[in-house]
Amino acid sequence: MRIKKLLVANRGEIAVRVVRACREMGIATVAVYSEADREARHVQMADEAYAIGAAPATESYLVVERLVETARRAGADAVHPGYGFLSENPAFAEACARAGLTFVGPPAAAMRRMGSKTAARTLARELGVPMVPGTLDAIGSDAEAARAAREIGYPVMLKAAMGGGGKGMRLVRRAEDLPEALRAARAEAAAAFGDAAVYLERAVAEPRHIEIQILADAHGKVIHLGERECSIQRRHQKLVEECPSPLVDSALRERMGEAACRLARTSGYVNAGTVEFLVDADRNFYFLEMNTRLQVEHPVTEMVTGIDLVREQLRIAAGEPLALAQADVAWRGWAIECRVNAEDPFAGWLPSPGTITALHAPSGPWVRDDSGVYAGYTVPRYYDTLLSKLIVWGADREAACERMLRALGEYRIVGVRTTIPALARIIAHPDFRAGRLSTAFLERVLPELRANDGRHASIAAIAAALAAHDRARHDGAPTDSTALGAWRTAGITGWRRP
Amino acid sequence: MKYAVTVNDETRAVDVTGASGRYRVGVGDDVFDVDARLVAPGVYSLLIDGASYTAGVLDRDGVCVVEVGGEWYDITVEEQMRHVLRTRGGVGQDARNRTLIAPLPGKISRVAVEPGATVNAGDTLLVIEAMKMENEFKAAAAGTVAEVRVAPGQAVNAGDVLIVMA
Repeated sequence: MRIKKLLVANRGEIAVRVVRACREMGIATVAVYSEADREARHVQMADEAYAIGAAPATESYLVVERLVETARRAGADAVHPGYGFLSENPAFAEACARAGLTFVGPPAAAMRRMGSKTAARTLARELGVPMVPGTLDAIGSDAEAARAAREIGYPVMLKAAMGGGGKGMRLVRRAEDLPEALRAARAEAAAAFGDAAVYLERAVAEPRHIEIQILADAHGKVIHLGERECSIQRRHQKLVEECPSPLVDSALRERMGEAACRLARTSGYVNAGTVEFLVDADRNFYFLEMNTRLQVEHPVTEMVTGIDLVREQLRIAAGEPLALAQADVAWRGWAIECRVNAEDPFAGWLPSPGTITALHAPSGPWVRDDSGVYAGYTVPRYYDTLLSKLIVWGADREAACERMLRALGEYRIVGVRTTIPALARIIAHPDFRAGRLSTAFLERVLPELRANDGRHASIAAIAAALAAHDRARHDGAPTDSTALGAWRTAGITGWRRP
Repeated sequence: MKYAVTVNDETRAVDVTGASGRYRVGVGDDVFDVDARLVAPGVYSLLIDGASYTAGVLDRDGVCVVEVGGEWYDITVEEQMRHVLRTRGGVGQDARNRTLIAPLPGKISRVAVEPGATVNAGDTLLVIEAMKMENEFKAAAAGTVAEVRVAPGQAVNAGDVLIVMA
């Protein structure tokens, strides 16, 4: 069945991305917006747009009934959930199905199976997909822990069974440190989660986050589109992604891809999905979880494979068989994506909502800007800080890095602080350039990231003086808000570098 | 016009002459020919002795945030005269944090507090009109106002005690 009209149950750059794919396929689009998003770019780009509630997502983008009702009233026959919001909510997929709407994503059952970490791990174990070696259940006595740690091999990681957020976690390098670490981890787990149970896992030192993109049609065919490396993260949020990974060779790609396809096939997965792995320095990979939706960083795969993932999603949802065989998938060159967020990287990545007074996006050869914003747009404070994804392609990694630096240099956003200067410093970092990546990279280099090294201090001083000069001539007698002498404090004159 | 421009805690004297986009700009001992055009709100195209720069300039709460070459600078700009007056020091060191002393001569245009009032850090205490500008003075810390020694319309000299905190 052909999709004629599709509602995009999302906002921002991903809603724009989906609208673009639809337009190229002749599918009419319906945008939805909260009270805070009437002026958002996706609303302007879609064929139709309808209000769905108040600014907080819980009162708009997360209200299943309202989205389904809006799709029905607008005469849409399909719904694309984007990422985040309701994209991995099986109840939403079911509600769409009940209303006769094609949900562009996996069946609710597959979503449940792969969305639950414990269920997914159980399936991975049954299929022989490697996971970080460890105890399956909470450990009892210290002697039992010592025996398990010896079998797994040091260093080991103690983790709270009920845990999360780093609480109750202890890295143990030597057997003699185990008893004390157990005591501390149990005490911390008990305090944080009301349950002292801990289990043991092999510690993966400086792991890399590498994920496999898969496509599965409704006729049982599953292929993979290779990997993306997403090791540049802070607080588990990705900032820079690339395809391929500098660590992965074709043999490893084949093994990881095969494992990902096996998981997808066995779970009855349909549509685009991503299987995430941790990879250690010896190229051992361990299943982490499956994301049952389109990923933020999907464009790097598109740039290197030449496959439009959203288009494939829509074709699969319409019941069409995959036109590609695994052997048709080829990887050419290198792509890197940088996330341009409204955050101040030099002040603890503090969100920086506000009005974008001027915006110049980079362009030129092999540069792609997947943006949800424009000059004059006010970044609302209710949603995530992603403004745009800057993606470049190069013949090899070196060319892609140079191109990314060039493009970041062209990118000018005035009015809100963005991650752009930090991204440029990351791409230029010798470890990044050498492909020495790990999920610990960003935390490690963070102290080296400075707002400036003074190189352009004179230029900046001239610009500031000229701006003041202009202002003084145009405004007559401006108010100068100054707190002086003992009355002066960082807190009252605005933003300061920490 | 002479400005005192503070970048990275270092104050430079910047002397701007010229108009209509063409300026002679002295920075310390250096003098530059600057062709400046505002190409978008807050975006200057600068040709400095022929070298091309683009600078994003954003005024945020009195701090000028300048982006140039992927670097960010937080800059304060004052007219040179005001800077001299201010740094000459109007505030008695002994009375630190307790006394607001006029740092420059002018006329009180507004008094925002009364004796006995409690103020929070950042609250406006009074406004002095000087050098054709309204200069707002704010509390650095929370406290209680003990004395207000001036009234609106009154002329004050640099060094006059204006407000005393309890």
